[in-house]
Amino acid sequence: MTTQTETETLLQAEARAARPGAAPRRRPRRSWSDVAFGVWGLLVMLFLFLPIIVIVVYSFNTGRLLAVWDGFGFDAFASILVKPAIQNAVRVSLITALIAAIIATVLGTLAGIAMARHPGKWVWWFLGLLLLVSVTPEIVDAVALLPFMVFLGQDLGLSMFNDGIVRLSVGSSLFATAVVSYIVRARLVGQDAQLEEASADLYATPFTTFRRITLALAMPAVLAGFLLAFTLSLDNTIVAAFVQVSGTTPWPVYVLSALRTGLRPEIAAVSTIMLLLTLVALALVALVLKRAGDSATQIARTMTGG
Amino acid sequence: MRNRATGATKKRSSHAQAGTASAGPTAPVAMVVWFSFGYKPGVFGTHANDVLSFDRYVEAISPTFFATFQNTLWVGIIGTVLCFAIGAPVAYWMAFKVKPQRRGILIALVLVPFWTNFLVRTIGWQVILAPEGWLSTVLQGIGVLDGPLELLYTRAAVIIGVVYNYLPLMVLPLFVAFDRVGPALREASKDLGAGKIVTFFRVTLPLSQPGIIAGVLLVFIPLMGDYITATVLGGAKGNMVGQLVAGQFQTAQNWALGSAMAVLLMLLIMVAIGVSAVIIWLVALPFRSRNRLVLGPAPETAKTDAAPAAILEATT
Repeated sequence: MTTQTETETLLQAEARAARPGAAPRRRPRRSWSDVAFGVWGLLVMLFLFLPIIVIVVYSFNTGRLLAVWDGFGFDAFASILVKPAIQNAVRVSLITALIAAIIATVLGTLAGIAMARHPGKWVWWFLGLLLLVSVTPEIVDAVALLPFMVFLGQDLGLSMFNDGIVRLSVGSSLFATAVVSYIVRARLVGQDAQLEEASADLYATPFTTFRRITLALAMPAVLAGFLLAFTLSLDNTIVAAFVQVSGTTPWPVYVLSALRTGLRPEIAAVSTIMLLLTLVALALVALVLKRAGDSATQIARTMTGG
Repeated sequence: MRNRATGATKKRSSHAQAGTASAGPTAPVAMVVWFSFGYKPGVFGTHANDVLSFDRYVEAISPTFFATFQNTLWVGIIGTVLCFAIGAPVAYWMAFKVKPQRRGILIALVLVPFWTNFLVRTIGWQVILAPEGWLSTVLQGIGVLDGPLELLYTRAAVIIGVVYNYLPLMVLPLFVAFDRVGPALREASKDLGAGKIVTFFRVTLPLSQPGIIAGVLLVFIPLMGDYITATVLGGAKGNMVGQLVAGQFQTAQNWALGSAMAVLLMLLIMVAIGVSAVIIWLVALPFRSRNRLVLGPAPETAKTDAAPAAILEATT
C-alpha cells in the first residue's frame, strides 16, 4: 500500500516536472523499443476485442446459422421476442445472479471486515482458503457441488436444494463470495481503525459502530463487490451446467446446449444486449471507486481481487 | 500495529463466521474425494460407497485417459507460456510506456473482454475460425490459403482459445507488479550505468516476482480445468480432462469415475506447479548467488521461493 502511493506521487511529480521544460525531457523522436511496445500493445488490444466485435456484428446477421453471414437486419433481435425459451433462460440467469450477488455480498463483506479488523494468524489461513476457492478449476467446483446438492436435497431432505433457482444461486455465489471478501478486506486494511475506536470511546454500541463507521467505510468496496459478483454469476457456465435442474436453465447453459443443435444469430443478439448490461455495470463500479478516490491502478487491483 | 480494543465477543463471532464460511467450499470437495473411492452400482445408480477401493483410479489412468491427461498438460503449459509471452510486454507497456492518464482506459479495455461471457467469447472465435467464416474468405482472397481454413476443431484452435480467454488474467497481475516497482529504482539503476536490458533483468524482473507467480498460477490452474474452450473449439473429441469429467457426470452418470478423474486432475495441477517451482528455483540459483549482496557481518537472508506465500502477498 505504501509503495503504491509512493509510486504514484513520484509519477505525478515527474509528470509535473516534465510539463514546463518539455524540450529536454520529452524527446520528439521515440526510441524503436517504445514504438515496438506501443504497436504490440495495440495489436493485443485488438486481439482481445476481435471475437467480441465479431459477435456484435453477427448479431445483425439475418441468416439461419450464426457463422454464415447472410445479410444485415434486426431479425435476430425481433425473434428474441417470440421465443419464450430464450426469455426464460435470460430471466433465470438474471434472478439467480441477483440472489447470488446478495449472498456473496453479505458473506463476503462480513468475512472481509473480520479479516481487516481482527488480524492474526487465522487471516492467513482464511485467505489461503479463499485463494483455494478462487483458483480451484471450475470443473472441480462443479463436480463437487452436484453431489453435494443432491446429498443436501435428497438424503438430508432439505427440499429447497431441489429447486433450480436455489441451486444455481448457491453454486455461483461461492466464487463471488471469495472475490467480495478480497475487495472489502483490501479497502479496510488500507484505512486505520481509529474511527471505530473513537466511536467506541464516544459510547456507541458495537452494532452502531459497525453500521455507521465500519460499513460506511467499506461501502464503495461493498458496492463494487456486489456488481462484480452479479457479473460473475451471470457469466457462470460450468457450475451452472452441472447444478441446473431441467426447467430452470440459465442463459449460458442454454447457449451450451445450442452449441450441439446449431448456433443461431439470436444467441449473438442476446449476448450483445448482455454485453451492454455488463458494460453499464462495469462503468458503475469504476464510477463508484473513482468517487471514493481510488486511482486507476487501485481500481484495477480491486477489480482483479487484489 | 492496530489496537484490538473492540472486545472479545466480536472476535469470537468473527472466528465462528470464518468457520462456517470455510466449511461451505471445502465440504463438497471432500465429498468428491470420498466418491472417488466408490463404484457405479448398475445402470441407474450414480455412485455407491459400501466397498472402498482404488479401482476407479486404476480405471482413470488407463492408456486412453492417460493420453488426455498428457494433452491437457501440453495445452496448459503451451497456453500459459504463450499468455506470458504475449501478456508481459503489454503489462510492461501499460506500466512504463503509457502516460499515467491513459492507464485507466487501458485497464478498462483489458477488463471488458474479461467480464464478457466466457462461452460467448469462445463462440466468437468459432465464428472467426470457421472454414466458411470471414477470416477463411479473406485469407483465400489475398492468396495465403488455397483451400478453406482448417483450424477449427484442432489443438491449435484450442490453444488460440485458451490464450485469448486467460490473457487478461495474466496482464492484470503483471501490470500491478510492474507498477509497484515504480520509476525510482529503475532510474537509479540507469544512473548507475545499467542499460535497459540489464535494468529489466536485474531490477524490474526480480521485484515483480510475486506478480509473475500470481499471473502464471491464475492462468495455469483454471486453464487446466477448462472444458468449454475445448468443447467449442476442439470439437467433441474429448481432448481435455475437463471434458472427460463432465462426460462422466452428465452423460455416463458414473460419478465415482468422474470424481476419481477430478481428483487426479487436481493432483496433476499441484504436481505440475510443484515441479515447475523447483525447476525455476534451480535455474535461478546461479543468478541469485551472483546477485546476492552481503552488507556487514549479518548475511542477507536468501529469497525463498514460497509460491503460495507469494501469491497471497500479490493478491492482498
